[in-house]
Formats: sequence, structure tokens, C-alpha cells
Amino acid sequence: MLASVRSSTLDGIDGAVVDVEVHVTNGLPAFTIVGLPDASCREARDRVRAAIESSDLSWPMQRITVNLAPTCVRKVGAGLDVPIGLGILAASEQIPLESLADISAVGELGLDGSLRPVPGILPMVDVLETGRVIVAAADAGVAALGAGDRVRPVRRLRDIVDVVSDGLPWPHVEPPPYDDEIVDEPDLADVRGQASARWGLEIAAAGGHHLLLIGPPGGGKTMLARRLAGLLPDLSPEAARMVTRVHSAAAIRLPGSGLVRRPPFRAPHHSASMAALVGGGSGRVSPGEMSIATEGVLFLDELGEFAPSVLDGLRQPLEEGVVRVARSGAMREHPANVLLVAAMNPCPCGEGGSVSCRCGPSSRLRYSRRISGPVLDRLDVMVHVDRPSPTALLEREPGESSSVVAERVARVRELAASRGARTNAALNREQLEDAAPLDSEATDVLHQALVDGRLSARGAMRVRAVARTIRDLDDAGPTIRARDIYCAIGFRVRPPLGGCDA
Amino acid sequence: MREDAYAAALGGLSGATPLRLHNLLRSRSAREALRAIESASIGAEVAPPEALAEWQREISRLDLPSASARLDELGAHVSTLHEPIHPPQLTNDIDPAPLLFRRGRLPDPSLLHVAVVGTRRASAIGREVARELGFGLAQAGVVVVSGLALGIDGEAHRGALLAGAVPPLAVVGSGVDVVYPKRHSDLWEEVASAGALVSEAPLGARPEPWRFPARNRLIAAFSDLLVVVESRDYGGSLLTVEQALRRDIEVMAVPGSVRNKAASGTNQLLVDGCAPARDVTDVLVALGLSVIAVASRRNEPEVNAPESPLGTRASPAHRAAGIGDSAAVVGRTAVVLDAIDDGPTSVDEVVDRSGLDVIEVYGLVEELVALGLVVHDGSRVRRQH
Repeated sequence: MLASVRSSTLDGIDGAVVDVEVHVTNGLPAFTIVGLPDASCREARDRVRAAIESSDLSWPMQRITVNLAPTCVRKVGAGLDVPIGLGILAASEQIPLESLADISAVGELGLDGSLRPVPGILPMVDVLETGRVIVAAADAGVAALGAGDRVRPVRRLRDIVDVVSDGLPWPHVEPPPYDDEIVDEPDLADVRGQASARWGLEIAAAGGHHLLLIGPPGGGKTMLARRLAGLLPDLSPEAARMVTRVHSAAAIRLPGSGLVRRPPFRAPHHSASMAALVGGGSGRVSPGEMSIATEGVLFLDELGEFAPSVLDGLRQPLEEGVVRVARSGAMREHPANVLLVAAMNPCPCGEGGSVSCRCGPSSRLRYSRRISGPVLDRLDVMVHVDRPSPTALLEREPGESSSVVAERVARVRELAASRGARTNAALNREQLEDAAPLDSEATDVLHQALVDGRLSARGAMRVRAVARTIRDLDDAGPTIRARDIYCAIGFRVRPPLGGCDA
Repeated sequence: MREDAYAAALGGLSGATPLRLHNLLRSRSAREALRAIESASIGAEVAPPEALAEWQREISRLDLPSASARLDELGAHVSTLHEPIHPPQLTNDIDPAPLLFRRGRLPDPSLLHVAVVGTRRASAIGREVARELGFGLAQAGVVVVSGLALGIDGEAHRGALLAGAVPPLAVVGSGVDVVYPKRHSDLWEEVASAGALVSEAPLGARPEPWRFPARNRLIAAFSDLLVVVESRDYGGSLLTVEQALRRDIEVMAVPGSVRNKAASGTNQLLVDGCAPARDVTDVLVALGLSVIAVASRRNEPEVNAPESPLGTRASPAHRAAGIGDSAAVVGRTAVVLDAIDDGPTSVDEVVDRSGLDVIEVYGLVEELVALGLVVHDGSRVRRQH
């Protein structure tokens, strides 16, 4: 007997439809699975057999062949357990064959016959365009984002059999508790002092300018960076869906309602490999931290400790907003619209720029050379973060809260949208000419900076974009004034880093 | 073949210490000294028998023509005691240097020589002061002596070269053909071509640590006065000071911030009674060169302050228009300028002191940078002088 069940598997951050064909015939009992399954897929036999037997059904002692079509797509994970189980049951005439006609299923089976959630459920459900979609109860919320009311959440394999062979109604499954309203993003109000750094964050958030925080250990660079995501507006519906897809594919815990509504914040450790950061891996191309942080904040703490090759790998994605990962089999494009925040010490001992620095000039030079020029070039705003003075820590009133700053940020972002770009940082040359006209004094200042060699041509464009953001934050006047340009130059990255003049 | 190839060969013998060479060369030329070694006609007080045997082995392998060619190629010369070209300061020293390799022209020994030395790990301000001292001294007709090391030494040489007046003298620890530190290879060549570069070490000698104290003694021997710009509590500069004191040479120290670790040694020197060197004028006065400058400085402090041509970033156009002058700065810009120290100040401190907005302060600071009045290295700002 031959049965076929529709299902899907994960390919990068996209789903791919898979038809699970099961053939049961006489002969010595055997189980073969073909069609490019990976290891966890191959192990399906043992899980499915135990699940069927635990569900008071019987495992056919016959020759079973499972084919996963199309064979060219690599099948990963245990999401095919349920369709394989259903296929075996149908092919061995334990459930009616025709009942599977408008059903697709994605889920892992436990040995007790229960359905378990699988990573990437959203992109996988997305490609199952018709009929009812059986998923594990725990996946119900996220799957509903893709297939709406076609989703049939189920707790046990037995429940499916009851519905398709005995005509019982689909079981009612309580949606998981709705817990994502409690957003625990840290608030900017906790930051005492740090006037420059607050502005740096605000400019970065408002204009989408990549930010570099430099300062001694214990100055609060990490604390500040963590507050950046809280300044960004909620994700647009399209962005939210994209982020949710990526997070689903990367097996990151999603909020209870399924949809990721707040910009993600990702802080990969500096030992991260190229594959971890931009995506990759053997077999399937899984999204890297850059894609997981898309539409949000990617925080690289201890920038100087990242492998230089890994950092250079960020250049193209930062420029284009997409990561292209090529593997022998295929090329994948993943989104990578991140706001990059990097933090580093000014020198190996961390005290550079102050008189207590213990580093020799050569070690300081080596340290600052670890970051390649092209990477630094993509960081538009630099702020020195000093350790706050004890009086500031103890006495100051709480600073402005994130919500107040976020309002200004949202306003500037709307202005950028009205100019036809995601952010001011993304304005191209022509758009800048229109959106950031310079008054005559500002032209002189920029010209002088170019003549003095304090700015490169590319740097001047970046300064202009940052000046646009500064003006937007101030009073959103149409022209860029000299003071806006001066201010934008004041926030520029100056190599060599960290005040070493060796 | 050149005559000084013999001296070069003699200097290259292993274990040829200044004391042994001095005993050898006291009454002989280099060529005669080599013959004396070959024929073993030197006393045991000059070299013990095992050293003599080793020297004889080395002499039997000597390749004088190629040594001569190497000297030609480098444009280097070797001089020994009693030769007229040998610097009299070294001949008459308490630890005489009997043999000296040099590139370039030695300065006239009748000129005043001032050593400007200090730590390799100097602060930005220390470097600036060293450069200004080098510049001012050279302009005043003084030979600036230093060691071509990273930090203070190199900056002193740079300043002296910039002045384009009296070229500097560098005393190095490695052979004159072994550039150390590598990062100073340009400076090394500039000093060798404009001024003089000397060493006691034979050609090809690596910069081994033990060579530097001996080098420091030569710096002291060459000098009429020693200025230490920045030194830590322990360091080569303090060895130079010791050598200067043995020779009754006046030592001056540049005062530093009490928080600046790179200046803790120099501040200790001041506590111990060295005269402070605040600027070139102080040094010139100590040399007896500039009484007028002192008088005018006391009466008209602003007018006579020498305009520093170094380090200032104001564009020529600005300077011509008189914009690079702090008097021309008014209003809020002046408030910000007042809030900036001579030493490194964080922008947040400037914000606190001026009571202005952060954004405004960033703009005004950058305006001051464009005027060349302030330096902003991304971490800190400070006044530029």
C-alpha cells in the first residue's frame, strides 16, 4: 500500500515543501528511509515506532520504505516524524488513506506518542498553502501567524487518529499564556551621568548610525549598549514577521503570542566564528547573529578581541543589509539590517587616554590596528565612555527615561521615512543632497575639514548624514548649519583609537 | 683599503670592552693594536690569556677589505683615541670611549651640547614638550643629544631636525647599521644625514639590553647639560642622570602632573633638587644663553612667548587671518575653551563645567579643533599650545 502526506522542512530561513511517501509491502520486516535525510531525520524510525506502539496502534511487521520528495532538498530535523507516522498508519490501513488528502503535518514525535515543537515552524508552515496543518500544541501560536485558522494543534498522535478515522472533532487546545507584554528592556533612566554616551545612543538610534563605544572597563559600555534596543520603535508588521521567521528558524524562544514585536538585541561573544556571525553551518545554512539581530541591535563587545577575518566578514552585510552565504549546494540570502554597536577598550590594559595606562606604545598601536580601517569606516558615531564619577553615581537624579528618548527617536525615523530611506544613515548620495542641504557657513566648515585632511570624501558624506540626524533631533530645520557639522565631526571615529598618539 | 677598517675590526673583537680597548689604544693606533695582539705583545693587564687567544683566532680570520667596503657602503667612519677627529668629550671623559663608530658629521665640539632624554612610554604632552625643547634648543644654536629611542628621545630629535639650525647628535645602543627601534628608521636616516649618529657598538651589533647603560654614559659624556622630560620611577633616563651627576653635569627635569606615572621619576628628580625646565627658556638660562629672555618674560609674559611652529593644526589661512588666536574666541566658544584643561579633559567634564548642552559642546569643541586651539583625540580634549 502507498500513502503520501504533505509536510515541509527548513532550508535556511525558508520552508520547503516535502511529500512523505510511505510504501508498505510484504517481505522481511525492514525500514528504509530515502531522499536526503539528515541524522535526526534518519532516527525517525525509532521514535515513530515507539510512538505508534504507545498510541495503541501497531507497527506493521512488513517492508516499509519512506521516500522524502523532492529528493534534492536536504531534510533536517525531526519535523517529519508526524507525517512519517501518519503515512505508515495509512499505508498499513490503520487509518483511511483518503483522510490524509487535505492534511499536512509538521512535528516531532515523543516515544509516548506526544507531539513536540520544532524549530522553524513559521517558515515551514508558510509554505503549506492549503488544507489543514497539524502542528504540536506548543507550536500553535507561531504556526497560526503563517496558516491562521487552518492550523490544527494536537497533543498526541492518538488524537489525530481519533479525528481522521472515528470522525471525532479536532481537540481544543488552550493557547499558551500571553506573556510578551512584560518587556524587560533595561531603561535609560538607570544611567547616571554619561552625558556624551546618552547622546551617542540617541543619535545612533534615531539615525541608524553604527556606534562605537570606547572606554575603560567598568565605564558602563555594555550597560549603555543594552539600552539601545529600548530606544528603537516597535517593529513594523512586515519587519516583525521577518524577525519572527528568522528567530523561528534559529530556534530562538519566541514570545508567547508568537510574533516578535520589539527589535531584537543580540550580543555574540567575541569568540564567535564567521559562521556564527553571518550564518552558515554544514548541511543547512542557518541564520547567523547578524540575521537574528536584523531590525534590531547587534552588540559586539570587546570588538578588538574578535578575529579580524570575522569582523571583515561583516562589511558587506553592513553595507547591503543582507547576508549572502554561499555553500556548495546553494546560495542563501538572509536579512541583516542591524544597528551595530561596538565596544572596546582604548588599549589592552583599558586605561588608555588616561595617565595610568600601563601599555607600551607598540602594544597600543597593535591593539588599535586589530580593527581594520574599512570596519571602522562603517561606524559613524564614536563616544568615549568614562567611568562615572562617584558623585554622579550617588547623587544624580535619574536621567531621562527610555520612553522619552524613544519618542524623539521615532520622530526622526519618521522624517527619514519621508525622505525615502529606512534611516538617515541609509540616505544615499542623491537623497542626502536633497535632504541635507548645507548653508553657506556649513559648506565652509566641511570644505575646511576636507582641506585640512581631517575628513575624507566618504567621511564628509557620513558627517553630513549624522549632521542631518543631529538637526532632526534638535528642531528638524531643513538646512544643515555649521554647528551641526561641527557636532557630527565631534562624534566621528578618529584613528588611531583610544587616544594613542604613537 | 681604508685605515679605519682596522679600528672597525678592533671594535668588533668579542669582549673588546671600553676598558680593554682603552688600554690597547692608549699608546697605539688601531693597526698597531691589532699587530700587538697578533704577536701577543700585550700585557696580561690588558687582556687575560684566554681572551688574547680568542682575539688571535678572530684576527686570523679577519676580512679587512669587506669590512672596509661595508664602511664605504654605510658612509660610516671609525675613530680612536688620539685621532684628531675623535670627539674630545669622549677622550677626556672619566670613562673614556676609546673607539667610536659614526655616520654623518660630528658637531663642532665647541658648541654647547644638551641631552634631552626620557621614557619610551611617554604621554602625549611629554612628547610635545620634548619636541618643543629639541626645536628651541637647536634654534638657539645648541646641539641636541639623545638616544633615538621611542617616545621622548625620538621627539627631541624630530624637534631639532625641524628647526633646521644645528643638527642633532644621536648616540645609539646598537651598531650604526642596525636600526632600532624599527619604527624610527626614517628618523634614523634623517639624523644620520643631517646630523650625526654614533655608537660604541661594532657594526651589526644587536640592541642588547646591556648596551644601553653604556650608551647612556656616552650621552652624558657628550653633554653640557641634561634635561629629563619624562621618566618613570625606574628607567634608563635615571641611569643617564646618574652618569651626568658623576661628571658634574647639571641635570634639569620637566615637571609633570602628580597623576602622570610617566612623570613620577622626573618629579622625584625635582624633589631631589634638580632645577625645573618648564620650557626652552629655562634651559637656555641654565646654559647662560638667554638672560634677556628671562627679563622680558617677567615683564611681558605674553608678547615674548615664542610662537610654536609645531603641532598646531590651524590652517595657514586661519593663522594669517589671526583666527588661531584664543583672544578672537568669544561667547559660548570661549566658555567651552575655558572649561578645557591643558591636560586631557573628557567631553563630559567640559559639559559639566560649561553648563551647556552636550550637543552644543561637541559642536563648539570641534570648532576649536578647527581653529587649532584644542586637540580632540576621540577620548579626551586638551588645549593646544
